[in-house]
Amino acid sequence: MKINLKQAWHTLKNKPGFESFLASAAAIGIGLIFGFLLLVIFKAEKSVYGLSQILVVGFSSAAKFSKVLYQAAPLIMTGLSVGFAFKTGLFNIGASGQYMLGMFMALYSGIVWQFPWYAALIMAMLGGAIWGAMPGLFKAYFNVNEVITSIMFNWIGLFAVNVLLANIPMVLADYYGASNPDRTANMSAANKAAIIPKWGLDTLFDSTYMNISIFMAIILAVIIYFVLNRTTFGYELKACGFNRNASIYAGINAKRNIVLSMVIAGSLAGFGGGLYYLSGTAQYTIEKLLATMGFNGIPVALLATSNPIGIIFSALFISYIQVGGEAMQPEFAKEIVDIIISVIIYLSAFSLLLKGIIRKLIKQSATAGKEVAP
Amino acid sequence: MIILADIISATIIFAIPLLLVALGGMYSERSGTINIALEGIMIIGALFSSLFLNYAEKSGWGASHAQLAMLLAILVGGVTGLIYSLLLALASVSLKADQTIGGTALNLFAPAFAIVLSWAVQGQGQTTIYIPTWIKITQANFGLTISENPGFWEAMIFKNLYLTTPVAIVILALTIFLIYQTRFGLRLRACGEHPQAADSVGINVYKLRYIGVAISGFLAGIGGLAFTIAAGSGFQSTVAGYGFFALAVMIFGNWNPIRIFGAALFFALFKVIGSYSGSIPFLPSFSGIKYSQYLYQMLPYIVTMIILVFTSKKSRAPKAEGIPYDKGSR
Amino acid sequence: MSDFIIEMLQITKEFPGIKANDNITLQLKKGEVHALLGENGAGKSTLMSILFGLYQAEHGEIHKNGQKVLINNPNDANALNIGMVHQHFKLVEVFSVLENIILGVEPTKYSVLKRNEARQKIVQLSQQYKLSVEPDALIEDISVGMQQRVEILKMLYRDNEILIFDEPTAVLTPQEIKELMAIIRGLKAEGKSILFITHKLNEIMEVADRCTVLRKGQCIGTVDIDQTSVEELSRMMVGRPVQLIVDKADLIPGEIVLAVEHLTVASKLHKNNAVKDVSFNVRAGEIVCLAGIEGNGQSELIYALTGIEKPVSGRLTLKGHDLTKSSIRDRSKAGISHIPEDRHKFGLVLDYSLAENLVLQRYWEPRFHQNGLINREAVNQYADNLISKYDIRSGQGAQTIVRSMSGGNQQKAIVAREIDKNPELLIAIQPTRGLDIGAIEYIHTQLVAQRDSGKGVLLVSLELDEVMNVSDRILVIYEGNIVGEFDPKETTVEQLGLYMAGARRNDVKGGQV
Repeated sequence: MKINLKQAWHTLKNKPGFESFLASAAAIGIGLIFGFLLLVIFKAEKSVYGLSQILVVGFSSAAKFSKVLYQAAPLIMTGLSVGFAFKTGLFNIGASGQYMLGMFMALYSGIVWQFPWYAALIMAMLGGAIWGAMPGLFKAYFNVNEVITSIMFNWIGLFAVNVLLANIPMVLADYYGASNPDRTANMSAANKAAIIPKWGLDTLFDSTYMNISIFMAIILAVIIYFVLNRTTFGYELKACGFNRNASIYAGINAKRNIVLSMVIAGSLAGFGGGLYYLSGTAQYTIEKLLATMGFNGIPVALLATSNPIGIIFSALFISYIQVGGEAMQPEFAKEIVDIIISVIIYLSAFSLLLKGIIRKLIKQSATAGKEVAP
Repeated sequence: MIILADIISATIIFAIPLLLVALGGMYSERSGTINIALEGIMIIGALFSSLFLNYAEKSGWGASHAQLAMLLAILVGGVTGLIYSLLLALASVSLKADQTIGGTALNLFAPAFAIVLSWAVQGQGQTTIYIPTWIKITQANFGLTISENPGFWEAMIFKNLYLTTPVAIVILALTIFLIYQTRFGLRLRACGEHPQAADSVGINVYKLRYIGVAISGFLAGIGGLAFTIAAGSGFQSTVAGYGFFALAVMIFGNWNPIRIFGAALFFALFKVIGSYSGSIPFLPSFSGIKYSQYLYQMLPYIVTMIILVFTSKKSRAPKAEGIPYDKGSR
Repeated sequence: MSDFIIEMLQITKEFPGIKANDNITLQLKKGEVHALLGENGAGKSTLMSILFGLYQAEHGEIHKNGQKVLINNPNDANALNIGMVHQHFKLVEVFSVLENIILGVEPTKYSVLKRNEARQKIVQLSQQYKLSVEPDALIEDISVGMQQRVEILKMLYRDNEILIFDEPTAVLTPQEIKELMAIIRGLKAEGKSILFITHKLNEIMEVADRCTVLRKGQCIGTVDIDQTSVEELSRMMVGRPVQLIVDKADLIPGEIVLAVEHLTVASKLHKNNAVKDVSFNVRAGEIVCLAGIEGNGQSELIYALTGIEKPVSGRLTLKGHDLTKSSIRDRSKAGISHIPEDRHKFGLVLDYSLAENLVLQRYWEPRFHQNGLINREAVNQYADNLISKYDIRSGQGAQTIVRSMSGGNQQKAIVAREIDKNPELLIAIQPTRGLDIGAIEYIHTQLVAQRDSGKGVLLVSLELDEVMNVSDRILVIYEGNIVGEFDPKETTVEQLGLYMAGARRNDVKGGQV
């Protein structure tokens, strides 16, 4: 048994992904320690309680866990949106606006046109795709940096959606007798068929948050992984991302690919907006703040080094500690969790350095082992 | 006429943070490092300078030494921004990491830290840090009396005058001089254009890139305070995307200080038209539309996009920006 | 006092995987022109970078005037009056000549630049050494020759006594080379000591006093030029007698493969057209060489032929099919292969594996995918086949990330990919740049093999030796015009040089041969 373990360790440590995994794990560990230190500084007597909330609450009950899954689904989508664009050489900082447009199209088609949930989700993708196409078009045809266009269209999208929603009485809550005029309608009053089905999961988990969104998000992540790594289309997109000139030289239509990349990235973020607002539990409030779900896609993607399968896990992780962070209010501000995430991301910038250290440690343990062995 | 004076005055106060931060971004990019963390750095600068002003208010000392306190607050914002920006320099200059990763982390950290610290200092849920009113420069500072019905010039100058405005103008003038007329400017630009060439004549590329990022941190920190003053309702752990607009202003200004100044004024003007659309008489009011002000608030972003389309063909970024410099690479 | 102004004693420098310098000793006498000869990769540039402080040696010492010195960075080198003209000029393109010369040693008052003082000194130096430059012109606007003079002035401005020239003639025309030789003699006459790195033997014979030969990181020996011959130097450099002439059968020209008619291509850099009303053709079974100095429209012409850029006007046909408006992919399908100018910029996706790069021009063919799904087995099989057929060496075979491969093997991969397409026309742009003699011979053999199998080859080259040896017909391009057509057997390098420099021209119009 002992020998088997040794062998397993030996094969494991030689896998190329192993060092990356350890580096990420080390980053997460350091991030959590940093967070804990903050807790100690601000309220030492409650610090252990705070940390345990972050670490444990997500698993403490089926209801809490379903909240983790409920928030993870749109996070996976915005993470995929950013990660997919990264893989094709583009920085999509516009997932927020694409997410907003996805939300708008989902609500509009679900309520005004009384679309069922799956059709409304497709409309959400369409909304996100149109907004994603903008930075792509501006980059391909006018040579405007996609980061700037994305940022501008985040704000244009926010204001446009706000004005549109405010002027379509049917989508607002007060149309159905609720008191707040700046809120979108409760879906169970506006169109029950547009609510994403729960397939009995809500009773199983004893939580209204639980529905099939998380499974749809995971399936889409797998599809994106497949497209990027196994298809000629993915081959073209990645070639374009790695070296645009070489892809042009190889007869790949780089301009078309830039636009397509951004359209797909946008549709993923838009789908995320649809997932969240068709859950039946979320209502949008008209305000002047950009959707944070879109920006949170960036750390999700970075933590997973843009690997679509990795994005599933990084979104689950981030959602998990966010649920924990909410639970430690009011003793601590939930933003401590954001601080932990930012430290982890910052350290992941050092992944090469961390990997080097880990490689050294493994080597040292290997030589130490040899010396002990007869 | 008074409305025009108001518009000009408001334009200037909104242009100042953009100018400062875009100039900061320019220093960083001219040295070869893309600073996408400007937003986060602004927040850190705004946070500490607001806390300082708040402290000066509470201690009672501030109100009696208003402009001195304000000058110190500017320094606090600049220095804390500078220190924070060194984290970006460490990641992207020393460790040669992807510059978007370090920048994103700093942008994520800053607002969260601001909220956590605001709570810790002011008590749970107390997120807004109020800025004392005495920081405003009034006619009294110049020995003038405050008139009931100010004329055009008086309204334009004194409606929104804070120490950040003259400081920003001085920094602009200093920047134009520094970048084009001094040894430092020549070397900084060389590092952003052709670091190998700079290295071959004995210039320490890493050092200059650190300095470039640090100056951007200093200016963005001050810009954070300038934004908080312009926003007018205290510091709420955000600078509302101004760090990113500043990047757009910098590109629109083609990495050239004078043109950046023009771009900042232009962007601010449309921002003001957006915000004050209701009180500007000659604009259509779209009275049938609920929340029609949002239509105007889209304006600066749309106009920026249109202008970028026309200017981007000619735009010329520093050649080596965004590429970590590696001495060993041949 | 030592006879030698600079001595590099038993220098050893290792990079991961290779010993770039192995126990090399080089001694430079005061006031001599000392050539450093060796193939690409022999370790010449590394040795000079050590002397200039860009690298530090693991072993060995540097002495100046008999005293041991430490050179840890270019500042140290400068303080010892050592200056260097790098092979790739270290000039900031958007800076003026003056700014580039003073960068690093700026004359200032209260840290404000004293431009006038600098200008006076530059003007004085340029008159003294006959190095004409325009101090206020931007580098991007001046010729390569003037850029080189700026680099030389950079050293003189710093009062350097030891001047290192790294491959200074690679980018120059024969006439400009003559001028440079005169400049070097002038510098020597003023008492400067000169190190001259090159792999061109005739230049050494012309200007050098002594020559040290390196091969594969080792020092082969130092010889006096008046006691040696080109043959001996070349044997020392390569380690075996070199076949400088490419073996090939007589030309049997076939039908016209590529016909270019009145092609005009716009320039991205300036308002004038880069290629002006150019007509020529390439026949089956011949190698046509487009000779010219860099930046005379070759790149734009090739972009237009391969479809990377659209021409303003004109027509091009491949075996009678009009391809003027075809996409890059369609031209590739029609039978054009392209070995691009810059293998890192265009030829390869460095972060892809070797297998993925080898199918870059044909991944879309039905045998490599089913309904858009990549058939990995077929891709790997095809890659393994090419790897063994073209002897491409790499660490992990088909799965090697191309970035980690050597330059020669990267180029072999491109050549393999392009030739294996069995094209009607092979366009090769400077296919041997930066490669060692072995790889150069290999690539020349492949080009000739294409020709002998009845294909057309269009070769763009800046190396006149290559132009003379490989081609069947030479077209000289100057400022976007084809200014002369020559048979390599009936022309000389000097004559080509005159046409390349624009001193002579007989415009070739129309598609006649």
